[in-house]
Amino acid sequence: MGISQSELARSVGISPSYMNLIEWNKRQIGGALLHRIADRLEIDRDDLDTSSENRLLNSLNEIASLPASANLGVEQDQTGEFIGRFPGWANAVASLARSGQEANLRAQSLSDRLSNDPFLGETVHRMLTRVSAIRSAADILKAYDDITDEERNRFYAIIDEESHRLSSVGEALAAYLDKSDTPSRTLTPVDEVESLFEANGNRFAQIEDAAEKAHKLLREAPVSNRNAYARALAQDRFGDIISDIIDTHAQLETISARERAHRALLEYAVGAVQMPEAEFGGHARALRYDIEAICDSFSADFHTVCLRLTALRPEADVPRFGYYRANAAGGLIRMLGLDTLTFPRYTPACPLWVLYRAQQSPETVIRQLAHFPTGSRFVFVARARNTGAVGFGVPRQYVTDMIAMTEADARLTVYAPDATTRPEQVGPSCRLCPRDNCVHRVEDPLSD
Amino acid sequence: MNKRVLLVEDEPNIVESLRFLLERAGFDISVETEGPAALESVLQSPPDVLVLDVMLPELDGFEVLRQLRANPNTRALPVLMLTAKGQKENRETAFEAGADAFITKPFSNTDIVDAVSNLATRGPSQT
Repeated sequence: MGISQSELARSVGISPSYMNLIEWNKRQIGGALLHRIADRLEIDRDDLDTSSENRLLNSLNEIASLPASANLGVEQDQTGEFIGRFPGWANAVASLARSGQEANLRAQSLSDRLSNDPFLGETVHRMLTRVSAIRSAADILKAYDDITDEERNRFYAIIDEESHRLSSVGEALAAYLDKSDTPSRTLTPVDEVESLFEANGNRFAQIEDAAEKAHKLLREAPVSNRNAYARALAQDRFGDIISDIIDTHAQLETISARERAHRALLEYAVGAVQMPEAEFGGHARALRYDIEAICDSFSADFHTVCLRLTALRPEADVPRFGYYRANAAGGLIRMLGLDTLTFPRYTPACPLWVLYRAQQSPETVIRQLAHFPTGSRFVFVARARNTGAVGFGVPRQYVTDMIAMTEADARLTVYAPDATTRPEQVGPSCRLCPRDNCVHRVEDPLSD
Repeated sequence: MNKRVLLVEDEPNIVESLRFLLERAGFDISVETEGPAALESVLQSPPDVLVLDVMLPELDGFEVLRQLRANPNTRALPVLMLTAKGQKENRETAFEAGADAFITKPFSNTDIVDAVSNLATRGPSQT
């Protein structure tokens, strides 16, 4: 390249020692700095982009924190170097851990099914009743040699009748077990959909192209109806495009993941129709990525705008957004992850994230300056919305939409923390979090 | 005079075997196939031992037993519970509801005759 590490560091405005850490995968970078380094080296930004390495780093750190790894002396401070030197092995470890997790979940659900499945419970009961009648009658025939012919014939008839009924029960059980044989999976449906979006850089060119035309039609609709109209247009015009995308993505293995992907792509199409790429980027920047102001400007829903922000093309001075959606039970139901942010996949997440707290004050936009134990800081912006029916006495069903950005990227937005913003101490998950004085801890941290 | 056993069981082929076994052991047998009828029968003429299946139409065996234990006239009636579900929870529920003994299907003929004979000899509980 003809440029030394320290010259490069100086020219992009960082210290040579920090550059050294970046080079050894000990610091993760993104956004503007990545862009400056790529520019200075005159190479494509994608060649430097460490997104997939960062995801792998997060996965391996989490695996190291699992109870099974606790006493193995895993060299956690060298995870980045391990990935850099042995990427194949690192991927194999992460993939094995994921398969192990899947196998555990499957074993657990099979065990739950065996103990709670009403059909199995009823069938076992019927089977034991039949066996009981046969055994008792057979024992009588064997043990009593003074019974009358009439009694003997009666007990033979019982054995005959009950053994036929037993075989019917057995056949029904075999048919049921055959039917419930499901294909093996390596990912959860949420993960599968995330992998589809990740593989496409959160952006689908086919949908963007078609959305430009559909947007012109949308302009003719009254402002108050645009939301519903955009949805109708997306359903009407994007079905084939969406099916094509799903069919060509091999990682969508299960029916459930394909259905989930269909809904996710339809949401994407609604966003693209309402906020076409050509207009959205400039508009969002002018409004300093204020989600509510963008909603107002395009007559769009909060979550549609959040999703649209994740599809912004990576450029210098454009913040990178991650998107997370959780249900009332804290379950993650949609994620377009930010690669620099560890979101636990194998253990419960930290309850202090605003993602979970937002449901305490629904329909209110809440910002959180999340300070992680590693020192990294993210800005989270969350809002809970009702997805169920409305009416007096009708239970609300809230889900929370949250976008995440690094603190540095947040400075380009209205959500930039200022001197009065109090950082909140949060963690990735209890196993990965060293804060031993946290009252919300439910699991011990990994010991050093 | 022979001791009397009321058999509450809705499977006719099992009733047939139990009736044969218990009559051979010297008991007089009467049979009911539903929970409410069993309760009525016990109240009208209490047997010496009640053999009660758990899975019954209308009112299950646990509920029949709870009602019997709640009534001062039938509180001490010796009860043997019979079920096809051998799980631990069932056994615990049976004893909590006040069963004196518990046998799971498929049962051994000897075990059931021995259990009924023990309860008949012991007579009403002293609690």
